Formats: sequence, structure tokens, C-alpha cells
Amino acid sequence: MKHILAIAGRELRSFLTTPVGYVLFTAYMLVFGYIFYLSLKGHLQRIELIQAYGDLQALSTVSVNQDVIAPSFGVVSIIFLFLIPLLTVRTFAEERGNGTMEMLLTSPLATWEIVLGKYVALLGILGLLMFFTALYPALLFLIGDPGPEPLQTLAGLIGLFLLGASLGAMGLFISTLTRSVVVAALAGILAGLLLLLIDVAAQFLSGPVAEVLRYVGIRDHFEQLLAGLMRSEDLVYFGVTIALFLSLGRISIESLRWR
Amino acid sequence: MIEVSKLSKQYGDFLAVRDVSFKIARGEVVGFLGPNGAGKTTTMRMITGFLPQTNGRIVVADRDFDKDPMGVRCAIGYLPEVPPLYPEMRVTEYVRFAAAIRDVPRSERRARVERALESCGLTGVAQRVISTLSRGYRQRVGLAQAIVHGPQVLVLDEPTSGLDPIQIVEIRKLIRALAADEGRTVVLSTHILPEVEEICGRILLISRGQIRLDGTLDEIRGQGTLEEVFLREAAPTHGGPDA
Repeated sequence: MKHILAIAGRELRSFLTTPVGYVLFTAYMLVFGYIFYLSLKGHLQRIELIQAYGDLQALSTVSVNQDVIAPSFGVVSIIFLFLIPLLTVRTFAEERGNGTMEMLLTSPLATWEIVLGKYVALLGILGLLMFFTALYPALLFLIGDPGPEPLQTLAGLIGLFLLGASLGAMGLFISTLTRSVVVAALAGILAGLLLLLIDVAAQFLSGPVAEVLRYVGIRDHFEQLLAGLMRSEDLVYFGVTIALFLSLGRISIESLRWR
Repeated sequence: MIEVSKLSKQYGDFLAVRDVSFKIARGEVVGFLGPNGAGKTTTMRMITGFLPQTNGRIVVADRDFDKDPMGVRCAIGYLPEVPPLYPEMRVTEYVRFAAAIRDVPRSERRARVERALESCGLTGVAQRVISTLSRGYRQRVGLAQAIVHGPQVLVLDEPTSGLDPIQIVEIRKLIRALAADEGRTVVLSTHILPEVEEICGRILLISRGQIRLDGTLDEIRGQGTLEEVFLREAAPTHGGPDA
């Protein structure tokens, strides 16, 4: 545990002292803010329209969660596809470039401690990102009347966090495979696309194969959380995905000694 | 302090190190001498536990590597050929991190870090960011990282390569001081002959993955100048890369 915290702490400190993180966070906040603004504008226009018709029944079916929060979080999932690989490429590729991998591997550290240390740092960064993401919906709680559903909003945030954590574990694994930051970033984005879109193939198939593809794809699980449904099978899916990629990462680092 | 027997390393078809055996006593300063690609780095990487050996046994500080790899790693301080530095960190921060991952207890950490910085002449630049340091100073930071946990054995891979003449003199002086301090055992590799004469008491000449010569400086001087002996024993190799 001490080792994991030492590695995570060093990683976070590096993240906070290099400009990359600030640039990515700022870009994220601008893009997400604009999307949030557009969704909100659409929502208000809809309410105005309904009010103009005087259809009070329809007014009660309009929800901020459905109109604003869920769609904008959906866009964030696409942003994550690019953002998370950019955050994870550095982890091991840079370590190998600096020659510091040799220092870690000759110190009395277990390989899983190295992997988990890096991952804990990534979760910390992701948590920070979630905090900033939550600021926009928080505004709606302050000034919205009626405000959003708190639990549904929270489920959406958890969904985003788990999606980021899964893409992060995958990015970490990919980063162990190459010295090149560019290759790691591109491969990370491609692999993320695959994980997000693999269930599209299920639409053209039927039977057990389609079921499997739908389960393997990450989108369905994420959308359940976005809709406010906390199902244990989705949580298990995220847990297994993260554990799988972290184990692959551990094996891959272990194999560095043999190459 | 270090006991290596029948050590071999095979990369695919290429036998980089074959049946190397030697013993190094406590407090000895041994120079691993050999042309590039002779197997110096590979041997050092096996002793430090970075590379697993294909065959053979390694015992450091009475601990068998195969049975107690973490114990061996705690007993060794290692400076690879390219110092393993995080350019964005400050010198103290970096050395403190090295102490933390080598199990230096939290209560002793500050004192140990300060001592390592002082021994390596880094006190004045402790708060500098590593990327702003000159090469000589980076090498010192690499040495500080290697000694911070108080290892009994220091393994240095070409510690003066890429330095200017003044830096070389200073780093050599530093290595001699670190060796004298606490009777540390030092193994360093080099292909610079005067370096060996200046720092080491004993020479292990390695060529094409084998030990060609093992003796004290005086014993070897009996066979001619160091250069003559080197050229005779380390006949040109067409070996692989010094990986």
C-alpha cells in the first residue's frame, strides 16, 4: 500500500506540474460548457413552445435530466474517447523513454504495485474531472425550478466515471506496449472506439452472438446508468473490464524483463 | 558480498553472457572492463534483477536472488547507463521518491535524503527542477538515487559516459568517496582504461560474454600495460549490441 501511494503521489505531482493536464482540462471545460449550453437552450425553447400552445399536460413530461444532462453526458462519453487516451499515454511510454522503468523494476516493488499506483493516480485525475463536470449540473440545482433529479444525475456522473475508469485501464495497458506516445494515443483512441461501437454490429446479427456483442460493448451499460438505472450487472461489467486491462498491463510490464 | 556462479543470458540464438562466475568481497571496488557489446550491461542488469538470468545463481549480501529477490534489490543501489530521472521533478522530491519505493522508513526519510544529497554535492541544487541541470549534475542525482536507501552494494553502469573532462574528474572523485564511505562494495563498468586504474582495486575483463581476466591492478600490471592486456584479451568482437 505504501508503495502504491508513493507511485500515485509522484504521478499526480507530475501531472500538476506539467502543462499538459491544465491544457486538457481547460479544453474539456470549454467544450463541455458549450455543449451543456446548447442542450439547455434547446430545453428552454421546448418549454417556450409548449407554453405557447398552452399544453400544460405536455409540460409535466419535460425533464431537465432527459433534455440536458443525459444528452450532454452522452457527448462527454465521446470526448472521453479522445481525452482519456491523451491522459494515459504518458503513464508507461514516458517511463520507458526516461529510463525510469529500469529504476522501478530494480526497486523492491511488485509489478502490480506499479500498475495500481499508476491507476490510482489516474482515478484521482478522473475524480477531479468529474468534480468539474458536476459544476454545470450543480448550476441547474441552484437556479433551476424545478431542478434536476439528484439521484439520476448522480447515476449519470457515476456512469461517466466508470466509463472513464474503463477507458483509462485500457489506455494504461496500451501504454505498456509501446515506447511511442503517438502510437499509444492512436491505439488508445481506436480501441476505445471499438469498445464503444462493437454493439452496433449486434444490430445486424441475432441470437446469442448479438447478445454477447451487446454485453461486451460498453455503450449499453453506460446508457443504463445515464438513464438513472443502477443495475448490478452493469457495475460488474465495469469492474471486470477494469480488472482485465489492469491484469493485462501487469503481465505486459512483467514481460518487459524478458524482451 | 556478491557471488555469481555459472551465470548465462541468452537472447534468442545469441548467447550474450556465458558461464560467468566471480566473487566480490565486501568493500572491494571492481571495474567491469570490456569493449562495447561484451556483456557488461547484461551482467549488471542480471545482478540488479532487471533481467532474469537464463542460467546460474546470484547471491548478493548473503541473499539468493531466486529465493529473496526483494531482499537483493534492497541491498543494491543501481545507476543505469542513462540516469533514470523524471525531468519535471525537483531534486529533493525525486530522491525522496526513490527512498519511498526502497522502503526507507518515513521517520528516517528526511535525514537519509539530506545525507544522500550532501554526499553527492547536491545540497545547493536541491530545489532545482531536474531538467534544468547540467549532465554532470544529473549524473550526481542518479548517484543520489542509488545510495539513498543505504545499500551495501553499488552497481554503476558506465558512470562517466557522456560527461566533459571536468565532470568526469568530479564524478570519479565522488565514486571513490562513496566507496570509502561505510566500506561499500562497488561494481562499475567502463571501457575507459585510465578510469579503472584510478578508481578500481580489481579488474574483471569481460569479452564476448566471458570473463577473460580477473585480478588486482598490480597483478595485471605484471603482464604489461593495461592497454596491452586489454587489447590482447579483448580481441575484436563482432558481438551484438550492448543491450
